[in-house]
Parts: sequence; structure tokens; C-alpha cells
Amino acid sequence: MSKQKENYFIYADSEKCLACKSCEIACGLVHSKADLFTAVLEGYSIQPRNQVVQASGITVPMQCRHCEDAPCALVCPTGAISQKNGLVDLNRSLCIGCKGCTMVCPFGSISIKSEGKVSADTRSKRARALKCDLCIGITGEISEANCACINACPTQAISLVDSEEFRKMRMKARVMEMAAAISENEINSL
Amino acid sequence: MNKAKSADEAVISMLDVAKKAKVQTVWDRFEKQQPQCGFGTLGVCCRICWQGPCRIDPFGNGPEVGVCGANADTIVARNLIRGIAAGTAAHSDHGKHIALTLLEVSKGGAPDYSIKDEAKLMRVAELLEINVEGKDKLEIAKEVAEITIEDFSRQGEGVSCKWLTNTLPKVRVDKLAKLGVIPSNIDAAIAEIMARTHIGTDADPVNLLLGGIKGALADYTGMYLATELSDILFGTPKPVKSSVNLGVIKESAVNIAVHGHNPLLSELVCDAAMAMNEQAKQAGAAEGVNVVGVCCTGNEVLMRRGVPLATNFLSQEMPILTGALDAMVVDVQCIMPSLGKIKECYHTELITTMPTCKIPGATHIEFNTETAIESASKIVKLAIEAYKRRNVTKINIPDVKVTAYAGFSTEAIVEALGMLDPVDPLKPLIDNIVNGNIRGVAVFAGCNNPNVVQDLAFITIAKELAKSNVLMLATGCGAGAFAKAGLMTPEATLNYAGETLKAVLTAIGEANGLGGPLPLILHMGSCVDNTRAISIATALANKLGVDFDKLPVVASAPECMSEKAMAIGTATISLGFPTHLGVIPQVLGSPVVTSVLTSKIKDLTGGYFIVETDPIKAAAKLIEAIDERRAGLGI
Repeated sequence: MSKQKENYFIYADSEKCLACKSCEIACGLVHSKADLFTAVLEGYSIQPRNQVVQASGITVPMQCRHCEDAPCALVCPTGAISQKNGLVDLNRSLCIGCKGCTMVCPFGSISIKSEGKVSADTRSKRARALKCDLCIGITGEISEANCACINACPTQAISLVDSEEFRKMRMKARVMEMAAAISENEINSL
Repeated sequence: MNKAKSADEAVISMLDVAKKAKVQTVWDRFEKQQPQCGFGTLGVCCRICWQGPCRIDPFGNGPEVGVCGANADTIVARNLIRGIAAGTAAHSDHGKHIALTLLEVSKGGAPDYSIKDEAKLMRVAELLEINVEGKDKLEIAKEVAEITIEDFSRQGEGVSCKWLTNTLPKVRVDKLAKLGVIPSNIDAAIAEIMARTHIGTDADPVNLLLGGIKGALADYTGMYLATELSDILFGTPKPVKSSVNLGVIKESAVNIAVHGHNPLLSELVCDAAMAMNEQAKQAGAAEGVNVVGVCCTGNEVLMRRGVPLATNFLSQEMPILTGALDAMVVDVQCIMPSLGKIKECYHTELITTMPTCKIPGATHIEFNTETAIESASKIVKLAIEAYKRRNVTKINIPDVKVTAYAGFSTEAIVEALGMLDPVDPLKPLIDNIVNGNIRGVAVFAGCNNPNVVQDLAFITIAKELAKSNVLMLATGCGAGAFAKAGLMTPEATLNYAGETLKAVLTAIGEANGLGGPLPLILHMGSCVDNTRAISIATALANKLGVDFDKLPVVASAPECMSEKAMAIGTATISLGFPTHLGVIPQVLGSPVVTSVLTSKIKDLTGGYFIVETDPIKAAAKLIEAIDERRAGLGI
């Protein structure tokens, strides 16, 4: 039996987000494999997988949460979406752009778009599902250092969450508090 | 929903028309811009050199300085004063244009212009200390124009701008001279700001702000001369009754909207429209040509000719959406490029006229003073042609139109007061301020801004101040807001003024044979006419022998937006007036700049910014500032 581990996901601190949308630009560019100037000059279609959203006075980028029981994977008729390697993986080559996943995603984080150079072929829009892939497609591995949005954020509001590490950190912090309380009691009882 | 966008009933109804017609308006574009970038909002984004762009992380996690080493204070101060320079350039370019036209007229050129107000010419000559003895009016006009142009061309810092020193109380001039902020040349003050904000020049935020103040005082100078010389060429405004809001567009007329700022164009369009009225009738428009105003050009022609005002800045797209606007003629400033796109959905001709302001999609008819009436006639002809192309199914003119009184130039106000005391016209005003019947004076100015509900803050603050017996003056798109809200009428005085203010305005009104009070808020003109209000303050200060910072006079720009507003606002705090801003200025990224502008500058000039986005709280703060001044005077 293999060890259970939650998927990674991108988390953003709304108090640090300035809504500059640098993360959107970075995401769109990295997935288009183009730099800013090339993309602008060549008229690339740039499609960020994240979007900065403002509501009720807070601002935060939204993207795929890599759900453990992902509705998108359950409804996909072609099996393009699956649980794999610590994320909800999307195999775009299997996608037909039916939009089932966009309807069931509770975060509104899946769009059906084409990207890169614009095609003149009128038979197909070449539009397929797009969502955050934790930049795994760029380097083949999931790490904070590889995530374009994290690197682009000028206020360091965005981070990659490894739930196991996150829990460990939280538990350790609470234990440290307990330790401090115990030692204080000991001092007081002397 | 639309009420969250505008307080103007006509605009609210037109937003539904826009939605149905799938026409994108300023509010749609504003929504699409959300969320707007926090760095720009805080003023900490620097794009001055190509090492950048740089931005400072206001949370301290990221960079604290740009590539060159400029910190948030330097970056914010540089950005702000560059805005002031642009605002000053805009205002004073308008002024220079008028001065050069006056010079041409004095030499027998510019055949379509003339000296319409000789008495004003003589007053200006006296103000500029010109010896008029034995000179005819053209010679005097030439000297006035030349002395004015010197304020744009004088080299060296030795001599101050004459339009500045001769229009302010001497104590104020001395105070500003000690700070080293008096310009000797308007254009040089602008150039100096650009030079000192170049990469690797001035990095001291306070020194930069002093440069900004110098620029803002150059703006004051440019505004002052623009207004006064316009009066010479086109007449000093006198009280006039007119109609305001989109309902002034007539289905059975060739409708031409004049939009922008400079009366050089709009005055001639009005002349040509009158001359070509019959041609319009022949084309089928029973009511001939109907000229309406938009934005500050609208205020200019409303003040001098009683031309009805269709709308103010933020709703400038709406006249086209009525489907009955045949031409919109524009000159400079605050003209949304979107007009070029929107007019594609209608028959409306959009006509640009200035070499420095062309808009994709518009027809360009260049306007110059030598052939002015010829160009104006061409414009009216295009409008008549467009009228014939009207699609009647698209006509949708909201039945919203109210009365407004305008034309309250300084001269008109002094003349009205003179009916109470012909020997000493200012005395009744001063007496009523001293006895508290008038608690203070508030001048409203500035733009519209989609960051807030259009016109609402203007209206709310004014109603609060009226209750507290504050005498109110207004210019620019603020005046447009009040006019549309029906607050520039005697009825508004009866409905909203506190008892003592009502009594004073009624006494003046009745002495002038109006059979009722003066309007609640006096329309003093376009945004370049802010100096009309300041000229009254100068007269009061001189008479009382005090400086501006003692007077219970405040300013408010609840919806400021343009770079001109940055310049005007900085000028009013430099002159010593507490100045309210209802939109948060893009300076909060710098603690130094923020504290200088909102408090420390009070020690230097007596003026300061009150930043308050809640209109009720803003009114309370303005009254508090007035009361502080009253206490200072012991009244």
C-alpha cells in the first residue's frame, strides 16, 4: 500500500497581494514559452492559468486547488484529467474542449482556450482546457523555485503548499509554545 | 446598479441604452481595469529610466529601492511633480495660445477675433502696471500680450512672473519668495521639473516637492492669465440663465457639442452656428443649429453665452449615445479617446481641431487663428451633413433638463455686492463673514472620477456645507455636477441653505432685482477659471490686511483625476488654503510625501491636503478647517 499524500497547491496571502497581476503575466508567458517582448511583438495569445480577483475588499490570485476528490477529473469524458504525481494532472492532448470541467470546478479555475501563436486553421479553435499545473510541465518537477507566479510576485504573497510540511510546521510551532509555557511554569514553581 | 455609477438621472438612464446597444462606456472600461495595480496606486512604480521599470514593495519583503537606488519617497515625489508639470503645461499652453491670439489681434491679425471687453482690457492693463496714457486700445492690448508672453520667456531667476506677483497679497508673495518657489517663467518651471526628475538628479523628496510647488504656482499663473485674457477677447461673464443636462439636445435641431477647454475654438463655432442657422433649417432641422457644451468648453460658453451644458467629464460619451448628436467638436484636454470608437456606432461626426490632439476615427479640421471662422463654418457644415444621415431608430434623448444660473465672474459678484454697498462692495461680504452669517467660503473644483459615484460627493458635501451657512463657489466639472443637480438656482438656496446664508443670498438677490436669492452655488467658470475665485480671496485678504492662511476659505476637489487637478490642488495648498481631495492621491507609498502634503506643509504655507473619501466626513473636516480659521481671526 502506497503512502497517502495530499496534492500540492498554490496559496496566496490576500493581505500581501497588491493586484499588480504580475503573476498572471508570468504564468501566461511561461506556458507560452515566450518572453514578454516576443509575445507582445508576435501577438501571441497569452493565457494565464491564474487570475487576480477582487471581491468584498480583498484581492487575491485564484487558480486550481488540486482537489483530492476533483470534480473535474470525475466529469471528464475523455480521461484527460487525473490524480498524478501530487497534482491534478491535465493531459491536454486528450481534451476536446467540452467544458464539463469548467462547469463543475468550484473555483472557476479552468478555462478552455488556445494559446501561443494564433492559427489560421478554421476547422478547429484548438482550444483545450487550461488550468494551473504547478509549472510541472516546464521542468518536470514540483517546487517553489519553479513556479512562475511565485517568482513573479513582487510582494512574495504567493507560496506553494506541501500540506504535510505545512502541518508539521504548525504542529512544531504549537509544541514550541507548549515548551515555553512548561519552562515558564517550572521557573515559577521554583 | 447604475446608481452606484452616477448620481445623474440622465446618465443612469443612458447606461441602460448603452448596455442594450452594447456600447462600452467609461464605467465598463473602469470595471475591466479592476483590480488596478497597487504599485501605481501607491505611486511606487517608477518608469523614468530604462534600467527599470522599478517598484518598491510597500510591505518590505521585496525591493526597498529601485535600480538607481531611489527609494519610495524619491519615486513618489518624482512621479507626483511630473504630474504637476504636465498639468501646468496643459493649463498654460491654453493661456499662451490666448495671449498669442491677443497679440495677433493687437497687430491687426486674427481677423475673426477682437477686443470684446475694453473695460476688462483697461483693468488688466492696470493690474500689469501698464501706462495707458495716450495709447489706443490696440497698443494697450499689445503691451498686455507682450508682458504676458514675458511670463513664458523671461530668462534667469531674478524677476518673478508678473501675473503671479501682481495678483496675490504681498504677504503671500513674500512668504513664497522665502521658500524660493516663485517662478520667473512658466515654461521654465515646467522644464525645471522635468530636468530635476531625470534619472540621477534630485533625490530629496522635500526638495522635489518644493520644485512641484514652484510648478504649481506656474500653473496658477497660467490659469490666471488664460482667464483674464479670454475675458478681454470674448467678454467678462455676467449672470446668465440656462438649461443643463442631456435633455438640452433637441431632436429637431442640428446638435453640435463643443468639448474640451479653450474658448478660442468654441466661441467661433457658436458664431458660425448662428450664421448657418438657415442652412440647418433647409436641411430639415426645424430648430436650426443647437450648440451644447460638454466638460469645460461647455462651461466657457455657458458662462459667456448661456449655451446649455449637456454634461460633464465622466459622461462625455452619453451625448453621442442619444443618437441625436450630429457633431462633437473637441480641442484639448479631458477628451476620451473612446469617443472615436463610440461614434462609429452612430452618425455623429467627431471633429478634432488642434495639431496636438488627434483621435483615431475622428475627422481633423485644423483650427488656426488666421482662418478661424472658415474652419468653424466647415465644422458646422459637417454637422449639417451628418444630421441628414441620422438613424431615427437610434434616437434616445433622456427627458432630463434643469435650470442653472452661471456667469458669476469676479466682476459679476463684486457688481452684485455693489448693489448693497456701492462705495465698498466687499464690505457686505466681510461684515457677514465676521458676524457669522456666512461661516466661511468653499470653492469646489476639479474633475469627475469613476473611482467614486459621479457627482455624488459634490452634491453631498455641498448640501452639508449649505446647512452650515458656507458660501459656495464652483468651477470646472464640479460646477457641471452642481448645475445638473439643480443646485445653481435660487430654489436650491431656499431648499438647502442655512437660515443666515439664505438671508444673505436673498438680500444680495433682491438688491439686484432678482426677486429672490442668489443661487446656492455660484458658477465661476471652467477649471482654468479657478483663479476667479482666488482673485476674490486676494481682494478680501488685501482689504483685511491679512494673508490667505488666515481666511476662512477652503477648497474641495471630491473627484479629482487629471494632472491639472494635481497642479491646481498643489497651488491651493501652496497659497495657504486647506484643500480636500475625495480620491486618494497616488502618493501613499511614501510616508515622507504623505506627511508633508497633509500636515508638515501647513507650517510653511498654511495650506494642506485633507484626504477624505467619505463626503459627510469631508464636509465635517472642511467646516472644522473653517472654524479653526475663524478662531484664529477671533471671530
